[in-house]
Amino acid sequence: MPGLGSAALVVAFGLVAYAAVAGGYAAYRGRRRLLESATNALFASFASVLLAALVLLAALARHDFSFSYVASHTSRELPLGYTLASFWSGQEGSLLLWLLVLTGIGSAAVALNRRLIRTVIPWTVPILGAIASFFALLLVFVASPFATQVAPADGAGMNPSLQNPYMLAHPPLLYLGYVGLTIPFAFAMGALASGRADERWIIATRRWTLASWTFLGFAILLGAKWAYEEVGWGGWYAWDPVENAALMPWLVATAYLHSVMVQEKKNMLRVWNAVLVAGAFCLSLFGTFLTRSGVISSIHSFTQSSIGAWFLGFIAVVAAASTALIIYRLPLLRSRTRLESLVSREAAFLYNNLFLVAFALTVLWGVIYPLVSEAVRGVAVTVGAPYYDFFAVAFGLPLVLLMGIGPLVAWRRASLRAVGRSLLWPAGAALAVGILLLLAGARSSPAGLVGYTFAAFVLAAIALEFVRGTRARHALGGGSWPAAFTSLVGRNRRRYGGYVVHAAIVLLLVGAVGIGGFGTTQEGKLTQGQSVQVGDYTLTYLGSEQRRAANSQELRARLAVSRGGEDLGTVLAGKNRYFAEQQTSSEVAIRSDWLRAEDLFVIADQFNPDGSVFVKVIVNPLVNLIWLAGLLFVAGALITLWPDAREQRRLARRFAEEGALARA
Amino acid sequence: MARRRSPARLVIALSVAAALAIFLVYTALAGGTPSLRPSQVAGHDGRVSVAGRVVGQPSGTARGPEGLRFTIKDVQGTATLPVVYRGSVPDLFKTGRDVSVEGSLQNGVFVADKLVTKCPSKYTNKQS
Amino acid sequence: MDVLAVALGALLAVAAVAFVARPFLAEPDAEDDRLAGRTPAEQERLELLERRDRALGALKELEFDHRTGKIADADYEASVGPLRREAAEAMRALEPLAPPAPAPVEKVDARA
Repeated sequence: MPGLGSAALVVAFGLVAYAAVAGGYAAYRGRRRLLESATNALFASFASVLLAALVLLAALARHDFSFSYVASHTSRELPLGYTLASFWSGQEGSLLLWLLVLTGIGSAAVALNRRLIRTVIPWTVPILGAIASFFALLLVFVASPFATQVAPADGAGMNPSLQNPYMLAHPPLLYLGYVGLTIPFAFAMGALASGRADERWIIATRRWTLASWTFLGFAILLGAKWAYEEVGWGGWYAWDPVENAALMPWLVATAYLHSVMVQEKKNMLRVWNAVLVAGAFCLSLFGTFLTRSGVISSIHSFTQSSIGAWFLGFIAVVAAASTALIIYRLPLLRSRTRLESLVSREAAFLYNNLFLVAFALTVLWGVIYPLVSEAVRGVAVTVGAPYYDFFAVAFGLPLVLLMGIGPLVAWRRASLRAVGRSLLWPAGAALAVGILLLLAGARSSPAGLVGYTFAAFVLAAIALEFVRGTRARHALGGGSWPAAFTSLVGRNRRRYGGYVVHAAIVLLLVGAVGIGGFGTTQEGKLTQGQSVQVGDYTLTYLGSEQRRAANSQELRARLAVSRGGEDLGTVLAGKNRYFAEQQTSSEVAIRSDWLRAEDLFVIADQFNPDGSVFVKVIVNPLVNLIWLAGLLFVAGALITLWPDAREQRRLARRFAEEGALARA
Repeated sequence: MARRRSPARLVIALSVAAALAIFLVYTALAGGTPSLRPSQVAGHDGRVSVAGRVVGQPSGTARGPEGLRFTIKDVQGTATLPVVYRGSVPDLFKTGRDVSVEGSLQNGVFVADKLVTKCPSKYTNKQS
Repeated sequence: MDVLAVALGALLAVAAVAFVARPFLAEPDAEDDRLAGRTPAEQERLELLERRDRALGALKELEFDHRTGKIADADYEASVGPLRREAAEAMRALEPLAPPAPAPVEKVDARA
């Protein structure tokens, strides 16, 4: 019943629009009942959007091709999992998912923090309502998932390249990240709008920000793994605008997470933080705009989809409104605390921020450069990987170094002597690693060598932190060393969880440098029985095989792999030909060696009629560290996110103290 | 005694200016590759990338001696360009798809070594 | 099917309106419809509370950094004095603003 779905969306639109307008008025005039009404509207909108989502899901599940959306994205033979996942594979469905997540977590964030942040919530509700109104507007008037048509016999089906488990996980996780950034934005702007906010909203929304950031980061890596295995060109990140679309908000959100710590502890950088959080949110909108509008690509034209213009307009409005609000509240934001020394933890956080934001701006510049150059010079010029790689190294290396130095520097003012002393061991370890690598022949990539030296430095510094902390804890409380360790981490979740996340990033760097700087490639035509040598591996073409699957014909080349005389089995690489869609997909063979964390990557490009095959073989050293880093990243984030009973009690006490005054 | 002007602001301003300068200069000098339409290719020597729609029937094989031969047409226009491509062919390549090829114009034929196919849905590009 | 969709849609709209109007229906004429804001005195007190918590937090971190060997004894001695003074100052400033009877902590549901 598409009518019900449309009705639910119209009702949702009405509700969020009401939440925006009535909520805004209630906050401005201080009307309690009206605000409660607006908050109820926000909650109700979630129920309404959920209903619409369920209608679409039901239509997908029963192959109701009278829904245009169902007809254009699924087919009868599509497995159920992918049929349901096509909820988010198209424009309209993904917008509905966005609105669902937005109203859902928006309602949850407001509901959970209602009593805690009384001055901020009145403004957060209308802001969330306004943002939701945009998406609801699109869904009702521009891109409805409930358009109907005469039901065809069968649907158009899903592109075979999308039919893999990643399609089930990547978009929802990505959206949780993107949309999640709305929460800190709404609360930050709400705090500004209310004009008399304390810092409690930061503490209250910290976990939301952290969770969104984690989802976004993990989704980016998941997307990279997807590209690595399915698109299969041998690399893991192509600096494609669509990839960069998610990277930019993540970088800015990382900067925000760090500098907001400075605001919490030192009451500094408040203007900067307001700018950062607005920037992260605008970039997340920009990110989704990039992937939908098709405006940035080699085929640049707005006619790809008119929805691009809507998004651009909305981003402009959000950016303008945020800027206006920040400027309006500038006197309030100006902090009384000053940066005392350029060698202090505050300064280290500031440098970290500068590099992260600089890198984000670099990526942004690279993404919009084709448009800018076309406007200025008449010819669109695209920048390639060398541009991004250059700046990734230029900004990335100092960032890595800061990860090691930052924790060792004291707040306020650190004496260079004290810093030097703390750095002695990690620096020594780094030097040793550097020399070892140099001797082992890592000279081929100087940037890589420097990167690895820095990586060793940071890992040693982190290890030292854990050791010293455990030692101190043990000295205080006695007991066993493992107990001291768990107690240490348990009592300082933010700090040590953060260290684990840093270690994950360093691991990522090690893997990225490995695959980027120290890989080998070999390609050529192989007749049956012929061998090719790539790095340490020898591959021999044994022959080709054909197999018929349910909806495709599979053609594979079988190659025997050996290394140093040792037989390592065979790999199958080739192509699938899908009948219904008249499409070919390349199925690469990836042989992962977990001990060396490297991959042997085989692409069978072309099967010739004479029985020979054209293969491209790549050795990717240390690439599996990237995926491992993803898991470690989530583990570290979980440690930081874990609810802390003592912190809750502290917050409760503070709330009571404040509440007591109000009641007196 | 509190400082009149915090060094933080100065540091931020200088860093922003420096970063901006660096990448403006980089992109201006090192440049990237011009992205053109088939109608614009004629004047350009050197490495460019051309975007268009595959028309007609492709012939040959990308890994064979003669390469993959096909014609691309302006997405919004009629100008066409013959292309010879050698390399890996992305999965989505087919007549009617929008592609982007990178290489240079030689004797009226565009010799390409990079081929990217734009996904017909809103999803990611496929690389080769 | 169509009639059912319309009926359900109408039902949804009515339920939404009812839920939204609830605060007004529950309290048709509320004497106090004012949103609990903050008086300047409350704001000042809150800022002092934050200043105190920040100073105490900084002290705790200083102790921790000292114990784990990141800050040398000399630097610790130099920093701890001013920090303690700051915390004491903030707590002293709160005294005159302290309410006669603090609210019981158990009633609070502070979830982050």
